[in-house]
Amino acid sequence: MSWGYMSGILILSGINLMTVLGLSLLTGFTGLFSFGHAGFMAIGAYTAATVTMKLNILPESMFWLHFYIALAAGGLVSMIVSLIIGRLTLNLKGDYFCIATLGFGEAIRLVLDNVQYFGGARGLPNIPTQGTTTLTNVIIINVIAITALVLIIRSRHGRNMVAIREEELAAQTIGIDIFKYKLTSLAISAFYAGVAGGLMAHYLGYIQPIMFKMVKSTELTIIVIFGGLGSVSGSVVGTVLLTFLPELLRSFSNWRLVLYGVAVILIMITRPQGLMGGKEFSIKGIIRFIEKRRHKEEVNS
Amino acid sequence: MTHICDKTYNYEFQEGFMRKKFLTLISVLLIFTMIITACANGGTKAKDETIKIGWIGSLTGDQAVWGTCESNTVKMLIEEVNANGGILGKQVEGIYYDTKGDAAEAVNATKRLISQDGVVAIIGPNASGQAISISSVLEQYKVPDIATVATNPKVTVNDDGSVKAYNFRVCFIDPYQGAVAAGYAYDRLGLRNAAVLYDVASDYSQGFTEFFEKTFTEKGGKIVAKEGFKEGDVEFKPQLSKIKDANPDMILMPYYYKEVALSANQARELGIDAVLIGGDGWPSEQLMTMAADAIEGSYVVNHLDFNDPEVKPLQEKYTAKYNLAMELNGYMAHDAFLLLQAAIEDAKSADPVKITESLTKVTVQGVTGTIRISPDDHNPIGKEAAIVKIESADYVFQEKYGLQ
Amino acid sequence: MSYFLQQVINGLSLGSVYALMSVGYSLVYSIMNFSNFAHGGVIMIGAYIGYFSLTLLNVPFFIAFIISAVGAGFLAVTIERIVYRPLRKRNAPFLYFIISAMGASIFLENIVIASPIGPTFRSYPAIFSTTPIMLGNIALGRIDLLMFIISALSLVGLMYIIEKTKIGLSIRATSYSIKGSTLMGVNVDMVIFIIFMLGGLLAGLAGMLFGMKYTVYPQIGNITTKSFIAAVFGGLGSLPGAVIGSILLGLIETMTSGYFSSQYRDLIAFALLISVLVFKPTGLMGKTTEDKA
Repeated sequence: MSWGYMSGILILSGINLMTVLGLSLLTGFTGLFSFGHAGFMAIGAYTAATVTMKLNILPESMFWLHFYIALAAGGLVSMIVSLIIGRLTLNLKGDYFCIATLGFGEAIRLVLDNVQYFGGARGLPNIPTQGTTTLTNVIIINVIAITALVLIIRSRHGRNMVAIREEELAAQTIGIDIFKYKLTSLAISAFYAGVAGGLMAHYLGYIQPIMFKMVKSTELTIIVIFGGLGSVSGSVVGTVLLTFLPELLRSFSNWRLVLYGVAVILIMITRPQGLMGGKEFSIKGIIRFIEKRRHKEEVNS
Repeated sequence: MTHICDKTYNYEFQEGFMRKKFLTLISVLLIFTMIITACANGGTKAKDETIKIGWIGSLTGDQAVWGTCESNTVKMLIEEVNANGGILGKQVEGIYYDTKGDAAEAVNATKRLISQDGVVAIIGPNASGQAISISSVLEQYKVPDIATVATNPKVTVNDDGSVKAYNFRVCFIDPYQGAVAAGYAYDRLGLRNAAVLYDVASDYSQGFTEFFEKTFTEKGGKIVAKEGFKEGDVEFKPQLSKIKDANPDMILMPYYYKEVALSANQARELGIDAVLIGGDGWPSEQLMTMAADAIEGSYVVNHLDFNDPEVKPLQEKYTAKYNLAMELNGYMAHDAFLLLQAAIEDAKSADPVKITESLTKVTVQGVTGTIRISPDDHNPIGKEAAIVKIESADYVFQEKYGLQ
Repeated sequence: MSYFLQQVINGLSLGSVYALMSVGYSLVYSIMNFSNFAHGGVIMIGAYIGYFSLTLLNVPFFIAFIISAVGAGFLAVTIERIVYRPLRKRNAPFLYFIISAMGASIFLENIVIASPIGPTFRSYPAIFSTTPIMLGNIALGRIDLLMFIISALSLVGLMYIIEKTKIGLSIRATSYSIKGSTLMGVNVDMVIFIIFMLGGLLAGLAGMLFGMKYTVYPQIGNITTKSFIAAVFGGLGSLPGAVIGSILLGLIETMTSGYFSSQYRDLIAFALLISVLVFKPTGLMGKTTEDKA
């Protein structure tokens, strides 16, 4: 595998990982299902691209900073939109929220198709790709993202979100403000998706609304499921795996989605905790695992 | 009802988030290095023995029929060329990758073709979105690409008017198609009131429409109705009823055959008898099967005349070999390949940069006309459209029509 | 005036397409309290079964109808067995059902694409003439009329079964409480089997009519998204609600297209959905159920 080719896939994994991390928080930890996250990616992509191309006030040498600001702007705008959507739909029952996210994803695409300032259906070309979405930047951003996510999950907020996923009624009874936590979870996931969109825009150098179809949202959710609901390492491993695997199995691309469908069903029926089993990598865990095996052998002999 | 006893969630809250974050990082890097070492042996094979040509396009997804036709045609041509001694005395090897209709996949496939497989040039894709996305990769590695039916002007030209050094195409562009349709409708057919039904979500449709409107109104015609729909829609009667109310002479339908079939049928069902006019998204087997009656008497702006005796040999060869009907894309792929072959021979070398230079120097006689690429915008110069009329479920050639 | 009436007819005809698709979906929701996203896939398969019955088996139209309805019914029941029952038995959280449903719908759509059937669209052999029935200046399609009638009949039939028969009583009991009904001797598994079978039958009919009116292709499931929206709009859990919501949605989409802007049609429909939900979270006619602690 040549480096040029591989670095491309790694960058793609990194971009996917951003959205997957956000979705992991929303679906894996808080238990909300969204069909429309591609819409947040789209908002982030268009915002970031506009900032890089039209709002250039920093000197040339500080371009990297400009890029980061663009990404942050993308994430922020996505987040604000998500707050509006959330405010309107999060106090509805789960199914209603799902349908609402679906409608929203499509609505965003429709608006972008029609607004000629952003190029309409013909898209926005000439987005700078040099010095923007490089492997280094992608890695840095992902590290920050993972750290932030882990911080949130390990905190009181994270535990509250898990409580909501597990048993919403009980959580409410003990005083957790369900609405507030669902909204927070949605907002953060939208921010991550927005940044991912911005990264993607600067990787392809060209964006069109049609790149953000619903099927993209579902594919990313599938990655979260593979990795395991409730596990950050699972999301990381799942993303890398599911971005590389299709490349290696190019001849079977026809069957890829068929397999995904079957796999999702099987996972839900047999092992919903996915690859990582709701756990995370840790030295203690690995040691314990080895101890357990040794203990088993001793008992057997 | 509760999950107390459910073994599924068995958390272990480890102390110290620092360790956890650190270890997540380590795991990422571990996987990273594992993959690198596993694939470390890959390297580019010796380029000297064969000339490698890459092809990308949709082998899966909605455009699969067209992508498959293209790759089949290229395969067939490569076999022929090799049987005749190859190019510059070397055998040609074709490498084909599926883009699944996705721009990011197109970028991946292109990178793989160039940096891993070592191709000297790429043919395809047929979708503008993909063709535009790969331009930065082409620039980075300095390898040329000849798009087959990508009609968005931005494929070869930047916003500021400068040409993209490594993007080429062998088809005319949307502005041209739209203008030709308008010109033919106004000047030849004498139509004055036009209605447009277009696909809001399609860049092809939007581009075609914009330029049709511009030319038609410049000539003095009137756009009496402009209605939109979204890709995936099957019901067009609301829009068509509005169009019917505006009483047009013609309806422009600049989109793909499935929606054309549905909307044409529904238009007739509503009692609309205006002339229907469309573009290169129309020609297809299924269109005829589903809507032959409805589109009787319609006009299509096409790249070539399917019934031209000069293209018959190619059609027959293709059908004999693959047992499929030849689609529009096949002809374009054929011409793209001819162009590439001529450029390689002119450059007397398989060096991508030299090939790029030669692409604007050679002239070839393709099945879609004489092809000579302009150095200003990397589009074929003076390519005329073939106006085709649909009569008794066949495409009857009317004339070659260019911009007046 | 005739323009307005024509648009009304267009709206009603679109609405009846949605209605037929959303009734089966709403039926399952009213009992199981979850959204069967695989319903779209069943509709699509129903369309293909009908198509192949007519073209390969060359059976008369009526028989094809029955074959596709029954085929789709069995498919729906099979999906329930394989995908939902294991989750139900384990009292899995609501999220799992949705994810599995999504998996099933992805599987159905793509297995058709990957199989020799392929992604190309097929058109039904013409059974009904396409010349419309003209009421003055207004065109009413024959298939539209058929769809109207069949939607109305199925709704009436379903309501009858649910309100007036013993089976219907078990169904209604199960919709209030699965555990309670089991305690009272209701064979819940059988009830669920019947629900899915009924839903599947309707899906098969819907699929075939859809194929006849438009065309057959693997992505038909995506159109059903609109009928889900219609069912939500009308109130999940209410069968009349699903039908009324669908008709209304059809009318709204058509009127928006006809009088405002066809480009922004979906956006307006979506905005409407959200506004309804904000003021009446259970939809127009939805039942208000609260989980008891």
